[in-house]
Amino acid sequence: MRLLLASAALAAGSAAVVAPAHAQSSVAIPSFVEETVRAGINSIYAGEWQYMVGGGVATFDCNDDGFPDMLLAGGEAPAKFYRNASERGGPLHFEAQASGLELDKMTGAYPLDIDSDGKMDLVLLRVGENVAMRGKGQCQFERANEAWGFDGGDGWSTAFAASWEHGAQWPTLAIGNYIDRNEETSPWGSCTENWLHRPAEKKFAAPLALKPSYCPLSMLFTDWNRSGTPSLRVSNDREYYEGGQEQLWHVDGAEKPTLFNDAEGWRPLRIWGMGIASYDLDFDGYPEYFLTSMADNKLQTLAGIPPDGKPPATFKDVAFAKGATAHRPYMGSDLRPSTAWHTQFEDVNNDGLVDLFIAKGNVAEMPDFATSDPNNLLLQLPDGKFQEAGGDAGVASTFTSRGAALADFNLDGLVDLVVVNRWKTAQLWRNTGSKAGSWIEVRLQQDGANRDGVGGWLEVKRGDKIMRRELTSGGGHVSGQSGWLHVGLGEARRAEVRAVWPDGASDEWQSVDANGFYLLARGKPAMPWQPK
Amino acid sequence: MVPIRRMVSLAIVVAWLGVLNAAAVQASAMPPEDVLRSWYGMILKLVRHTATYSPPVASRSFAYIGVTAFETVAGGSKDLQSLAGQLNGLTPAPQREAGKTYDEALTLHAAMAHATHSFFGNTGPTGQRALTAIETKLHAELIAGLPADVVERSEAQGRAVAAHIIAWSATDGGAVIENMGFPMAYDLVAGPGKWVPTSTVAQQQKPLLPSWGRLRTFAMPQGNSCPLPPPPDYSEDKTSSFFKEANEVYETRQNLSKEQRAIARFWSDDPMLSPTPPGHWISIALQILERDKIGIDKSADVLARLGVTLADAFIGCWDSKFQYNLVRPVTYIRKFIDPKWETLLNTPPFPEYPSGHSTQSSAAALVLTRFFGENFAFEDGTHKRDGLAPRAFTSFQAAADEAGISRLYGGIHFRAAIEHGLEQGRCVGAYANALKTRR
Repeated sequence: MRLLLASAALAAGSAAVVAPAHAQSSVAIPSFVEETVRAGINSIYAGEWQYMVGGGVATFDCNDDGFPDMLLAGGEAPAKFYRNASERGGPLHFEAQASGLELDKMTGAYPLDIDSDGKMDLVLLRVGENVAMRGKGQCQFERANEAWGFDGGDGWSTAFAASWEHGAQWPTLAIGNYIDRNEETSPWGSCTENWLHRPAEKKFAAPLALKPSYCPLSMLFTDWNRSGTPSLRVSNDREYYEGGQEQLWHVDGAEKPTLFNDAEGWRPLRIWGMGIASYDLDFDGYPEYFLTSMADNKLQTLAGIPPDGKPPATFKDVAFAKGATAHRPYMGSDLRPSTAWHTQFEDVNNDGLVDLFIAKGNVAEMPDFATSDPNNLLLQLPDGKFQEAGGDAGVASTFTSRGAALADFNLDGLVDLVVVNRWKTAQLWRNTGSKAGSWIEVRLQQDGANRDGVGGWLEVKRGDKIMRRELTSGGGHVSGQSGWLHVGLGEARRAEVRAVWPDGASDEWQSVDANGFYLLARGKPAMPWQPK
Repeated sequence: MVPIRRMVSLAIVVAWLGVLNAAAVQASAMPPEDVLRSWYGMILKLVRHTATYSPPVASRSFAYIGVTAFETVAGGSKDLQSLAGQLNGLTPAPQREAGKTYDEALTLHAAMAHATHSFFGNTGPTGQRALTAIETKLHAELIAGLPADVVERSEAQGRAVAAHIIAWSATDGGAVIENMGFPMAYDLVAGPGKWVPTSTVAQQQKPLLPSWGRLRTFAMPQGNSCPLPPPPDYSEDKTSSFFKEANEVYETRQNLSKEQRAIARFWSDDPMLSPTPPGHWISIALQILERDKIGIDKSADVLARLGVTLADAFIGCWDSKFQYNLVRPVTYIRKFIDPKWETLLNTPPFPEYPSGHSTQSSAAALVLTRFFGENFAFEDGTHKRDGLAPRAFTSFQAAADEAGISRLYGGIHFRAAIEHGLEQGRCVGAYANALKTRR
């Protein structure tokens, strides 16, 4: 891993279109090596108009070996499941195998242990009927729509989020549906209903329409105000809605969901919403949100946090100030505006500051937008600003990218990357950088419902900072993950960690050694874990 | 009133030959005015959903497409006079073959299809799909029962006229729009009262289309043919006219009535979220043309003249904007009155003076008044599908005045930009009204 000097000096005349100058700082540039072919990955997201959005990937461990396995959506072609056969710290290696997940017409997928049996389940988003797949163990899955009362509908599903509402034994799923695919001459304004699948005993009730629906391409249950009750954030594609905007829903127990409104501080924002990433970037306990769009991405932070800790739902955009606009290609000769899809915060250089990945790719031959649009890897600097490193790090693919996942595929403490591409094979990169810093990886586990603690928080003390990571299921661009939570520690050799569970209860702080895996079971000491 | 459908016998057509050198038989089931409105309905959607379509760009396409339709219709009409020689740089369109039969609706359809594909070549996959769908649907309907030679000849004629207009459009300086209209390099003019970027969108750190005022105009001689008096002298003195105008924007925004808020929203006409301000006036015209069942000759005349004046209005307005390069209210008010002040509408990314919506609305109102008269009452439901209730107006000028003042309510313009913009629009509109379209 190289150290690059991030210079304050920006070329005269270009300062107004890139981030404002920032103080000199050094940041460790990670090195990624593409191992797509060597790893055995060969999966293309294919299809024409009905697959112009989507193309997701789900990463999850379905054979209890700790290594993340992978499902890649294929669009009109069947999806492909890959079992992770990598050795710890070695080259990435996957083996395609039959799992029951190989459905066609799939746009994306999200893993979630719906029935809390300790075996990972999945929700498959499709053009047509969505399918809930029950994990049987050893990476075998079976359809569970009927058994779980899950109505798969017949839409064009493009967004997903999950939460366990207070006291629930069964999750609540939000599924975002796009335009009416049968509309030819006037598809605009034809956004179909988003559905909220709430529990009814150990099944799903009939879906509840989340009206108005504005063609979302990403959804996320998130406790944005630390109230203890996650709200549903919905990022909508303004290309298709009429009278729409971004949305934030109250989803609170038995109450009918309602939208946050002007009196609660919510301000209209209208973008080509395509993906959501969240992380507490400024260590104030409240997450920031990165929203992808076309030519104009947003990094939102709360406009103000009053002394009582109950902020209004007012966000301000700090992408420009933080150098995180990623609005056009940063390399090559194609300088047309960018089109951004999946986005995710992870610490790719283990310096204790999460970085930002953005998958880029033209919708389909849109000449106003870049067609050679490299994916971004924005490294966070100590002053909270971001510096582009996609080219130097080796992940600047100019394929037409869509979904993605950052995950430690070979359990070496470095976050790797898989990206789904339209009409081209998905790409896989191994993070090979020598470690700039140390790390830990943690899984939360509790008895009963919601075993993986979705909606909880992992907190890690690093010096005088507390890094907080919300365990969410949703967001990104039709790409979901379950598994190890990676935290970079910089130079720290030990870390104080604790879990804050979805019901608000906190465990005691515990000290753990850096560079290890830990299971945090509720109320129990952290348990070191080693791959077999 | 032109009848909905005219069946013109060959005998009558032959009688026209001395004038037209062509024969016209209308046999399609759909009258040409319906074809025209169908295409304009699609065009309004494409304006909203094509990323390059900022208001100036939209106005340009409305002009060229309007002229395409008009020249196509005029080629088969004994009453209409071509705009060739009247619009800057426009030469006569290809003529029809003498004594041959054309289907008017199909000819117009072919012209509109060709022009729309050309001017919206940059639209996304959904727009392309919708374009193809409407073209296929209309084509199937229009050719039913027509002889093959009439179909072939009519389509060729429509395409030829459209190609002629497209070729003309290529030389006006506005055919290529890069980076959604924001220059990659542009030196901002520094100094008190000069425009500075107002948004945190990276692209918008440069002003939109700073050279647009130098485009070739249509009916207006050139971009600076309708000059404006300067805005009030820039001053930070609280007793100055400039400060008072800024304070008026501030106070108005702080005390907006429900009605003022509704007016601001109604005329907001944001790019990518609406048909844009020029599209709003096209929409008004289309509603009236449909409501009053206006025939093809007048429909084509209205849409051509309206498109021309909207395009001229944006060229003239942009010429003035970059002449004066004035600061926006949000910049001034936050600096000298209230640092936390928020506008109701998003401040557009270009200089303030004059108000583009005012200039183009006033020009549009003058043109529509020419056709439909003073005190022509109408209801405007342009934004119904976006949840904004229709608004009723007693005249086109009343609508233009409301569009103008809406920008003050929205917090994005000072009063002088509105009042002088409306004046500028009247000057621009007069040029379009002076065009001779009837023999």
